[in-house]
Amino acid sequence: MSQRKELRLGVVASPGGHLTQILTISRAWDEYSAFYVSTSPTVTSSLAKKGPFYIIEESGRGHLFGTIKCFVQCFKIILKERPQVIISGGSGCGSFLCIIGKIFGAKTLWLDSIANVERMSLSGRVTRPFVDLCLVQWPKHADRYSNVEYWGKVI
Amino acid sequence: MIFVTVGSMLPFDRLVKTLDIAVGKRLVDETLFAQIGEADYKPRNLRFVDVLDRETYIRQFKSAKAIISHAGMGTIAMADRYEKPLLVLPRLKRYREHVNDHQVQTAKAFAKEGYFLMAKESNDLVNKIRELQNFTPKKRVTQVDAVINRVEIGRAHV
Repeated sequence: MSQRKELRLGVVASPGGHLTQILTISRAWDEYSAFYVSTSPTVTSSLAKKGPFYIIEESGRGHLFGTIKCFVQCFKIILKERPQVIISGGSGCGSFLCIIGKIFGAKTLWLDSIANVERMSLSGRVTRPFVDLCLVQWPKHADRYSNVEYWGKVI
Repeated sequence: MIFVTVGSMLPFDRLVKTLDIAVGKRLVDETLFAQIGEADYKPRNLRFVDVLDRETYIRQFKSAKAIISHAGMGTIAMADRYEKPLLVLPRLKRYREHVNDHQVQTAKAFAKEGYFLMAKESNDLVNKIRELQNFTPKKRVTQVDAVINRVEIGRAHV
């Protein structure tokens, strides 16, 4: 068993394209201890291969109860895990974990989904002020905002 | 066999119903097998399941001749990875199929480059399925290593 370095990371993404995209760059943190967060049991087998994980409620427009529950769950996860770095592929659950994590002193990274062609996702725009490194997959998005960088597409 | 998938998050009854009716009218030459999600509409003319576990899903995907789906990035990525001809129908906000119309922009941008075929509306689907038989998708080129390098540098500041 290889020695995992001390840095604690939390990786969060909604199922489907969000999770697929964030996992394309997992080499960037595989040497560290990471826990994973997503919002559907359908991704359980994918996450189980990577590390300990949580399946929580998804937050979203028009789902107030789910959004509140997601927020509370994210808060509890941050309190329990105290990650030093949070890596998010979006969407709603990613916003909460980044924002709460940042308040508790974590460094945060956001990878906006390539599916947002015209502009960054709503969750990305809302979370951007709390993000240390915000990566987008369309060059024009990086021109539009500060602290947003384009280094290519992952998918 | 053409594998029809609605993705992992929401049903997509408009896609499934259109295909079901088309198969019933014998407008589709190929056999379809559909993963329909927790859907209200249950097809009568084609084989379907609600949900597949990941391994079975991947097996069905790999063994299909072509894929028909919504314009979700997970499906698009998988079709590129396994080099499957893909036909997408974007989800639309006005039918409450998604929170906004971003799938339309995604589909247009990618279809224009030749990565897959797109049906703008459900009544385009049958014609596009015929095109799908002879469609060779363009392979996507990504910059994963460049992005990883940037992330690693970012972590050095922790």
